Amino acid sequence: MCIRSPKDFWAGLIFIAIGSGFILLAQQYRLGDLHRMGPAMFPTLVGALLAALGAVVALRSFVLVGAAVPRFYAGPIGVSVLAIVLFGIALQWLGLVAAVAVLVLVGAQASREVRLLETLALAAVMIAFSVAVFVWLLGLPLPLWPDS
Amino acid sequence: METLSNLAFGLGIALSWQNILYCFIGCFLGTLVGVLPGIGPVATVAMLLPFTFGLEPAPALIMLAGIYYGAQYGGSTTAILVNIPGESSSVVTTLDGHQMARRGRAGPALGIAAIGSFIAGCIATLVVAFFAPPLAEIALKFGPADYFSLMVFGLVAAVVLARGSLLKAIAMVCFGILLGLIGTDVNSGVIRFAFGWPELTDGIGFVALAMAFFGITDVIFNLEHKEKQEVFTSRIGSVLPTAEDLRACAGSIARGTTLGAILGILPGGGALLASFAAYMVEKKVARPPRMFGQGDIRGVAAPESANNAGAQTSFIPMLTLGIPSNPTMALMIGALMIQGIAPGPQVMTERPELFWGLIASMWIGNLMLLVLNLPLVGLWVKLLAVPYRLLFPAIFVFCCIGVYTVDNKIFDIYEIAALSAVGYVLLKLDCEPAPMVLGFILGPMMEENLRRTMMISFGDPSVFFTRPISAAFLIAAVLLLLVIALPSLRAKREEAMQE
Repeated sequence: MCIRSPKDFWAGLIFIAIGSGFILLAQQYRLGDLHRMGPAMFPTLVGALLAALGAVVALRSFVLVGAAVPRFYAGPIGVSVLAIVLFGIALQWLGLVAAVAVLVLVGAQASREVRLLETLALAAVMIAFSVAVFVWLLGLPLPLWPDS
Repeated sequence: METLSNLAFGLGIALSWQNILYCFIGCFLGTLVGVLPGIGPVATVAMLLPFTFGLEPAPALIMLAGIYYGAQYGGSTTAILVNIPGESSSVVTTLDGHQMARRGRAGPALGIAAIGSFIAGCIATLVVAFFAPPLAEIALKFGPADYFSLMVFGLVAAVVLARGSLLKAIAMVCFGILLGLIGTDVNSGVIRFAFGWPELTDGIGFVALAMAFFGITDVIFNLEHKEKQEVFTSRIGSVLPTAEDLRACAGSIARGTTLGAILGILPGGGALLASFAAYMVEKKVARPPRMFGQGDIRGVAAPESANNAGAQTSFIPMLTLGIPSNPTMALMIGALMIQGIAPGPQVMTERPELFWGLIASMWIGNLMLLVLNLPLVGLWVKLLAVPYRLLFPAIFVFCCIGVYTVDNKIFDIYEIAALSAVGYVLLKLDCEPAPMVLGFILGPMMEENLRRTMMISFGDPSVFFTRPISAAFLIAAVLLLLVIALPSLRAKREEAMQE
């Protein structure tokens, strides 16, 4: 017995986990009956279908031959997610200008070809652009600076 | 001719200077962003959504439609010049389009794409104008059971037409439905799956989901696979095709338009399927079968006409049933909801100015694309020369600001970060995001209609099979699944997806 289609195997496991997770979480709500369905009914049904499909996909991976899981590069995804989270934090406390600066400066590190001066210039351009377009032109309610 | 007078009414609305301006801005911005490699129409529409928030519903929708066509066309430009399809529906354009560019015929390739798109757009606009109203009439008679079955059919069709494994696609639909259920349950007021976070009371933001799965994860995949790109920016030459080109393409444009218009109406069809099908038909039908794959201009004209016609007619299910046939239409529905309009058959009667204004603006949008793209090709080409390392942080900025401005919630930004991570893992495992996004939009509607049906029928599920419309949809869904499960057809489908 060996896994012949690793991609399917892991995808199946993830589906089983998500499906059963939703079923478990749904149990805190009222199930109701077919006539008067409670809030737990539909999620339970769909969750069960998802888990069942996941099981089939995972089991099938022992029979059908498929591709290996491609390499996960921690760099780009990690840096990007970090940059977006930092943008959120900065926008809340420091305003748009600082937030865009952080997003560009940190986010740019996701590429291997990043150059310092260029990135600084890009940050300046993006700040000017987003302030001019989003705040002044479109009048969107974005805080520019930290609340004093 | 009621349709014609309605169209005239629509033209009157679309031709107000203000709406023309918004249509123009939409087309311009859409092309501008769509040209950037690796950004498809979904991400483009999502990113540019904030530009429409301050507008009235009609101009907002007109502008969004402009953005959509622009993005579609921009993707073709990238496909021809860089050999990177900006989106999946221009994949086939790269085959002959890029070959033409290599032979120094980039100009005519771009030109015929614009002309083909324009002709297809004009015809498809008429199709929408004539077919949408009767469909909406029928849809008004639908009961909750019929709606539920229709959605099941729509999701099944979307899954069948998606790339990759059928089972995984259905699983992704289920995952999307579950994600869509997060938040307040309309019937009981219970807040579901929110982990006690008050920010999740309204559910996961659709824009965050679309941007994470179609914008951010795409950027990350591009960063991982950095390949040297061949950009043909130096010699575009005249964009006007020769008379001989035009003669050769006339049939291709007609065939592409017909196929595209039909396939666009199907749920899950839209531009992508249309362009693939058109190219394959063209390869079989065109005489003489000269040199497809080596820069045959008909190999550009047919799929480009088809994808534009398909993009247009995919508005039909959205406008008449309130059901999106692809992720871009799902975004349109999201945008309508932000404007406080519940999409569905009642839109046509309750908001005729919206309905007919949009249809008329489709035509104006197409004209604008022609006027905009032929002279401005040089500008788009310059954009392509901007290195990716400078582009992608800008994409991040647009996504983050865009998602925040939907609701002015900081939480949405964290959502996009989390969903990007989820999307990254799923994409690595070959799980397609498009079915999931449709499930996400349709999930709550399905639950609502299912509960209503069962309420009316006192818990008897047999209504789904005794109501004729509902039964027809369910049978069609089962047939589709059976057909695709047959081994011989399956091989054909895989072959088609390979090409």
